[in-house]
Parts: sequence; C-alpha cells; structure tokens
Amino acid sequence: MPKINLSGVEKNYGGNSANAVADLDLEIGDGEFMCLLGPSGCGKTTTLRMIAGLEHLTAGEIRVGPRVVDSVVEGVFVPPERREMGLVFQSYALWPHLTIERNTDFGLRLRKMPKAEREQRVDQVMKTLGIEKYRDRYPSQLSGGQQQRVALARMLAVNPEVLLLDEPLSNLDAALRLEMRAELKRLHAEFKTTIVFVTHDQWEAMTLATTIAVMSEGQLQQVGTPNDIYDRPANRFVAQFVGNPPINIVELGDAKSEVSRLANAYLGSHFADLLDAGSIGIRPEAIRLADDERGVSEGALSGKAEVTGILPTGGSWIIELTAAGEKLFLTTHQSPEVEVGEAVTWWVKPKALHVFDKAGQRVEAADRLMRPAKLH
Amino acid sequence: MSGPAQTSAQTSAKPAPVRRNSGTSRLAAPTRGQRLRYRMKVALREPTTIIGVLAAALFAYLIVVPIISMLSDAMRVQFGDERRIKQDVGELTWYYIDRVFLSRISHDLFWEPLVNTLSVAAGAIVLSMLVGGTLAWLLSRTDMFGRRWFATALIVPYMLPAWTFALAWTTLFKNRTVGGQPGWLESIGFSPPDWLSYGQLPVTIILALHYSPFVILLFGNALRRFDSQLEDSARILGANRLTVASKIIMPLMRPSLMSAMVLIFAKCLGEFGVPYVLGLPVNFDVLATSLYQNISSRQVGVGAVLAGAIMLIGIITITIDARLMREARRFVTIGSKGSMNRLSPLGILRMPATGFAALMFVLSVGLPIGTLFLSTIMRVPGQFNLDNFTLDYWIGTNLNTVALQTGILLSPDLWNAAWNSLRIVGVASITSGILGLLVGYVVARTPVKPLGTFLRQVTFLPYLVPGIAFAAAYLSLFAVPRGPIPALYGTTLILMLALIADQMPYASRAGIAAMTQLGKDPEEAAQIAGAGWFRRMTSIVIPIQKGSLTTGILLPFISGIKGLSLFVVLAVPSTDVLTTYSLRLVDYHYTQAANAVVLIIAGLAYFGALLGQKLTKTNLAQGLGN
Repeated sequence: MPKINLSGVEKNYGGNSANAVADLDLEIGDGEFMCLLGPSGCGKTTTLRMIAGLEHLTAGEIRVGPRVVDSVVEGVFVPPERREMGLVFQSYALWPHLTIERNTDFGLRLRKMPKAEREQRVDQVMKTLGIEKYRDRYPSQLSGGQQQRVALARMLAVNPEVLLLDEPLSNLDAALRLEMRAELKRLHAEFKTTIVFVTHDQWEAMTLATTIAVMSEGQLQQVGTPNDIYDRPANRFVAQFVGNPPINIVELGDAKSEVSRLANAYLGSHFADLLDAGSIGIRPEAIRLADDERGVSEGALSGKAEVTGILPTGGSWIIELTAAGEKLFLTTHQSPEVEVGEAVTWWVKPKALHVFDKAGQRVEAADRLMRPAKLH
Repeated sequence: MSGPAQTSAQTSAKPAPVRRNSGTSRLAAPTRGQRLRYRMKVALREPTTIIGVLAAALFAYLIVVPIISMLSDAMRVQFGDERRIKQDVGELTWYYIDRVFLSRISHDLFWEPLVNTLSVAAGAIVLSMLVGGTLAWLLSRTDMFGRRWFATALIVPYMLPAWTFALAWTTLFKNRTVGGQPGWLESIGFSPPDWLSYGQLPVTIILALHYSPFVILLFGNALRRFDSQLEDSARILGANRLTVASKIIMPLMRPSLMSAMVLIFAKCLGEFGVPYVLGLPVNFDVLATSLYQNISSRQVGVGAVLAGAIMLIGIITITIDARLMREARRFVTIGSKGSMNRLSPLGILRMPATGFAALMFVLSVGLPIGTLFLSTIMRVPGQFNLDNFTLDYWIGTNLNTVALQTGILLSPDLWNAAWNSLRIVGVASITSGILGLLVGYVVARTPVKPLGTFLRQVTFLPYLVPGIAFAAAYLSLFAVPRGPIPALYGTTLILMLALIADQMPYASRAGIAAMTQLGKDPEEAAQIAGAGWFRRMTSIVIPIQKGSLTTGILLPFISGIKGLSLFVVLAVPSTDVLTTYSLRLVDYHYTQAANAVVLIIAGLAYFGALLGQKLTKTNLAQGLGN
C-alpha cells in the first residue's frame, strides 16, 4: 500500500501565474526514499510543502495511508500540526531562542511524553547524530553541519512515519555534504522511515534515492529508479537534466549539420517515420574513438571529426570533437591517445542511442536499430 | 480560467509529462463552490485571518474615518456659520474652500503661510545640506579626528525636541517686541532687531540644525556604502578627480540626497513648535500655525480645508520620496560586493575639519542646552554675578509670582503633566508596538492577500498626514458624540487613540520588517512538530520577537514624549502633557519654568534613546521619527 498518494494535485499562486504544480499524480511507497528532482522553480518544493500541509491545494487530493489529509472536492484539510510528519527545512529553521536540547525535545514535550522517557529518547537521537555535546548551546553557536544535524534530530525525535527534506544539504560545503549524504542513507536504513527528499542536485538524487521523480515547470516528467532515469530517460528534458557533462543532442533534419545528416541517414534506414523529425541523444561516455573506419563496430552510428579540445577533470577526461561546426562531447576514463587537431572517427553502439520523437518523447529504438536494415 | 485547457495549451510544444497512475479513478475537477469551501476552511482554521479582520476594522475607524470626517467638514456648513453662509448646518458648500484659497483673507489664511512654509523649508534644506553634507562626508570618508564620537554626538540634535532650540533662541535673542523677561543680549544692553529675534531667519536656522542629522544619516550611509572600486575604475580609465565626482559619485549619491531633502520638507511642513514660539511675535505664520489658530478659534470648516491642504502636500511629498527610494534601491545592487571604503587623508585640513565638526556640535547641542540650563538658574537674564544664580526656579518655595509660586520640581502641575505624558505615551506606545507586531504577523502569514495589503496601507496612511492635520481630523470626529461613542475631546483617551494611530506607521513597519525577516520557517517547523497556533505564538514567535517588540515600543515612546503638534490641538489643561505644559508656560511668560520643563523632556528623550541603544545594540537615531 502506498504511503503517500497525490492525485490530480494542482497549485496556483493566483493572479495570472502559470500553475506552480499542474495535475500531479504521484505515489510514494512505504519505506521508499523518494527524490523530487528538478531545476529551481519546477514545483518540487511546492509539492513537498503541500504534502506537509504548509501550502493548500488549488485542486486535487492527498492521502497518507488510508487517510485523506487534503482534498478540495471533499473540503478536507488536515493542518500540518496534525499530519504527524517531519520536515527539515533548507534553512534548518532552528529556534534561535532555545538550546539544542530544547530544540530537540520540543515535539516530545508537545506530545506530553513523560520526562524520563523523553530524556532517553533525546539522548538516543542526539547520540545517533553525534550532537550530544552541544546540548546546552544555542543554534547560533553551531556550524552549518551541526545545525543540520540538530534540524534532523529535532524531527527524528518524534519518530515520524514520513520525513520530508527540503534541499537540506544545499547549504553545506562539499565534504560535509558527502558525509551527510552517507548519514541520511544510514538513517533511512535504520529508521525505515518513508523519506521524501527535494533536490536540484542530480548526484544527490542518484546516490540517495530508491525512486526519483523528475519535475519541470510544475509537471511530472518521469518516475523511476535512478538507473531508469539515467538509462531510459522518458523525454528530452529528463535526458538533458540528468547527466554531467550533459547528453549530446543531435537534431534530425538539420541540413547544415554533418552529424545530423549522418544520424538522419542512419535512423532513416530503420525508422522511416522519424526522418527529418525528432532528435537523438548520445551520452558522452557512449562515444568511442577509432583511428579509421576499420575500428568501428558493426551497425554503429559513426562519423569523422576533429579533436578540438581535451579537458582533464582529474581521473577522467572530456574530449571535444567538432564535425563540420557541430560539437560533440565525450568522456573517457583512460588517458586519451589523441591530440588536439587530430582527425578521428567516432562511433556509438545502437544500444546507446536515445531516440526522441518530434514532441521530445522517448522512442524505444534500440531493438529495431540492432535488426538488419530494411532496404528502401 | 480552466486549469487543464490552459496547461495543455502551454505544454503542447514541450514533452508531455509521463504519469505514474495511482490506479484510482481520476478525480473530477473541483467546482467553484468546492474551491471556495476549501479555501474558507484553510483561511479560518487559524485565528490569523480573524485577527487581521478585527485589526483592519480598528484601523479603518482610527485612521480612515477621522480623515474622511475632516474632509467632509471642509465641504459642509458648520455650526455657527449658517447665517453667514445662508445655508443650513450640514449642507454642502464651497464656502470654506473659497475662503481659504480665493477670498480676500485667503492671503493671510493660506497663501502667505504657504509661501512662508516653502521658503523656511527651502532655506532649512539648503542649510542642512551644506552643513550635514559636509559633516557626512567628513565622518564617513575622511581621516578626521574623533569620527566615532562625532558620529553619535552630531545626531543628538535630532533626539531633542525641535523647539528646545526655539526656546534657547528666545532666551538669547528676545527683544522688547514682546513682554516678559528680556533675552540675554537685551539685558546686557544690546537690542537685537526683530529679524534676528523672530520669524523667518531663526526658524530656518533652527530647523536646519535640527534636521541636518537626517542628511548625516542618509547621505552618510550612502557614502559609506559607496564602493571605492567604482572610483578607482574611473581613475584607471583616465578620469580626473572632478570628472569622477561629477560623473560617478554625484549621480550615485543623488537619490539619497534627494530623499533627505524630501523628508526634511515633509518634516518642516508639519513642524509646529518652532514657528509657534518664534513666529507669533511678528505674525510670521506657516501652514501649521495658521491651522492651529483656526482650530483654537473654532473655525472648524476653514481648519478642515487647511488640514486637507497640508495633508495633500504631505502625500505628494511622500509619494515623490517613495519614487526616489525605489530609484535608490536600483543603485544599491551596484558595487555591494567588494564594498571597499577608503578614507581620504585631509592633510593640513585635518585640524580645521575637526574644529568645524566640534563647532557644529557646540552650536547645535552645547549652546542651546547650556543656555536653557543657565536660564533656569538665573534671576535676571544674562547677568553672570554670583548672587544672580538661584535654584528657586527648580526647587524654591513661596516665590513672588502670580501663579506657580514654587520651583518647577515642587509644582504639582509638572508632576501631573509628567504622569500624563508617561501614562498616555506609555499606553499608546505599548499598544501600538503590540498592534504593529500583530499587523506584521497578519501581513506575513494570512492566506487572504488583500487583507495583508489593506493592513499595510492603512497603517501607513498617518505617515502621509502631518501630526497637526491628523489631530484636526481627530478633533473633527471625536469632538461631538457620534452613535455609541461619546464626545472624547478633553479626555486622555482621545490623546491615546490619536497617538496610537499616529505611531502605527512606525510600529507596523517595524512589525512587518521583523516578521518578514524572521520568515515562516521557524514557525512552520513548530507547526510540523505538532504545535497549534496559540502554542506557536507563546513559545516561538513572541520569544523570538522580544527584541524587536522592545524597540517597537521604545521608539514611539521617545518620539511621543517629545511630540507636540498632536497634543497641542487635542490636549486641554487637565490633560496637559509635558510638551503642552511647557508651551502653556511659554504663553504665560514663565520663561525659566518653561525652559526647565523643556530640559526635562530633552533629558527624557535623550536618555530614552540611549537606553534603547544599549538594550538593542543598534543605532536608534536612524529609526527616530518625530
């Protein structure tokens, strides 16, 4: 049974603005670590806040377990304080006038937990997060990472069934972020809480989530496992948003582009319907180099290009190829054997081609591409 | 506007979203009625909106209704004027408007006071720009000696009531034109001419001294924020000092200078005490004193027209200021990054510059306060013999005077006035401080946006209306019983209400700023943790806002204690506050006693501001209204 269920959820901030969230259907399973991923302004934080009850809906319904917590049609609105969730804010939102201990036990006091039990619980949570020595300090006396732990501890103390996290790592430096990511993953395993995590950082989403929901301009684009999202992007937006360096996109039917003509001819032999329409995407790591035609594997899309740049990124390299004005980027983990100015042959296995139709939707092409070409 | 149709139109060019269907059947789109029911449920779930509605009603009554009532007075035949106008009481008439703007006496009623107001304001602006601008530059961009000390000391004139200076001036320069004790110059045998003793010149000089801290603060801040790198870039590109000053510095400083000018003008417009003390002897009227005279001679209709005119000028001025501030904000983003502030060495001019700052301090603080104090311990003005000094005016008994036969500190009238001041200003400040925080809370939190907008605007309205015009509006509404509300004129309640309304712009701005700065997060975190509205208020919002609430009460208190224009219209002898009491003493020529009371007020205002600075660790001078 899904833990959280959003159906037909819509949010409009009024006036003539476009919907911040439009017609969203999403279910989040019990114990899932769901990442809402998307560029800023895509509606992911709004979605999280609607789940928490901090924003009301314009249309639609939200259920938590069997309970309807929010429904415009039924006129139901359960306020945030009665939804029994936890939410960690991007700004942490620690109460500046309370000590770390009082910040942490605030929720327990509200629930009138007996003193002994409460202290035990607070001790336990503080130890788990390694903040027990700051117990009597005030939030302003702690570093960003420590504040972050307190914000987590405060919510974990009440043992919520659902934990919502709004870009909680974005204010931390790189090293701390890595550490906290591992910590979150460990907490998820330990507490078995359902977690909804909002981020614009694809790495964070990839490393943490069991399921990722990609959003753009208020619309849900794709829901799937991290591998799904990366290997089988549902549309061009997802393909371009996920992956670094970004995927190479070749428009079909661009007569001026050498690569486009090659791709068009290559696809056309398999998909007459895609001729001069749609586009293909090639992940940088999928492009291979060869000295000449003989090095190209059979049935692959291939072409000639000049190496116009080699950018070492430490352990791997980004190579820039230029083919008649069009640029292709590829990544390699082996020290490149080419030099800038060298002419090379590039090729891509049919399996690694992402094909998108005119509207940008994914077309399952790999199987068909691997069959022998029809004559035309 | 139907959602789905709009969405599909928008997304047709983009990839259509992939949906993970929940298996349940699609929900029908909510009807209008359902949406409304849901929104009402969300809005009324918490008391925020209800508090907002109540506050909106309260402010409509305390702020909007008096102004409307006054404006309608200007258009209706007033009691006692029926025969002259040949219409019945309450009928619509152009009589008062005609009288103020067009009739034969319009010159004395309006046009001459207007010209006087404008010329005094213009003079004060020019003088304070010269003095304040120089001081601001010396303080913020040079290596003058004692800059830190001067930075605080030169703001002091603004913390004192403006007419402190007026009384000091009369103490020095009063001549035989009016009765009572002569000034010091007169009593040592030199008779100052009228143009030096009264009227335009002294009023202009005093207002300039009083408001130059404005320039020091506003212009000084802009100068401090100014990034030296902007200057350097121009120099590196080959511009000489003059070009840099005219092409880079001045254009960037213009908004702050203009803003200081406009604010000084607005303050001069409502200034009553100084022209009253120094203008009356030579019939030098400004708009505020003309209004006061019409009100005290019960010319309600004419008074209403005058108050409306002052209000209109005030509104225009503040609108201009708002424009300028918007322009200024556009500039702020420039160079805010690596804000480097380099000091120019003054070299040989370092001593003279310090001397100039010191002189200004002596002229604007030392001299007036010293003069006033000396005058209260001297029997005959200006004679520095040891036997001329006495403490009788402070603590004496059985003095040989008609009234006030004891020293001022032993007079029950003083303590009565002091108690009234504390009580009225105290209650009003605490009330408006709390109301301000509530307004801030509602504005920041209510889901009903128009309510927040209305509250913000209505509480700002009194800022546009000079105090004396606002007092006239109160008089118009509350002088007679209306409905269930009895006539409030002569009670302390009307003073409190008027003061609350008058302080709301500052209080609500402080409250809105505090609540906006706090943001929603801490409160929402408590909400998520399970705290209901009341609990969040008592254990999160109010404890966090303790500091700003203190400031929000203290600031209006200080400006209320030294305020005059509101009280002078609304107070009667039994509800005298310190300021009106001292003005009454001036009218009766009890010079020493009047000066003593003014010193007490100045002391209260100054030490109050100091205390506030200590408590909040900020520079309160910047927030001080008048």
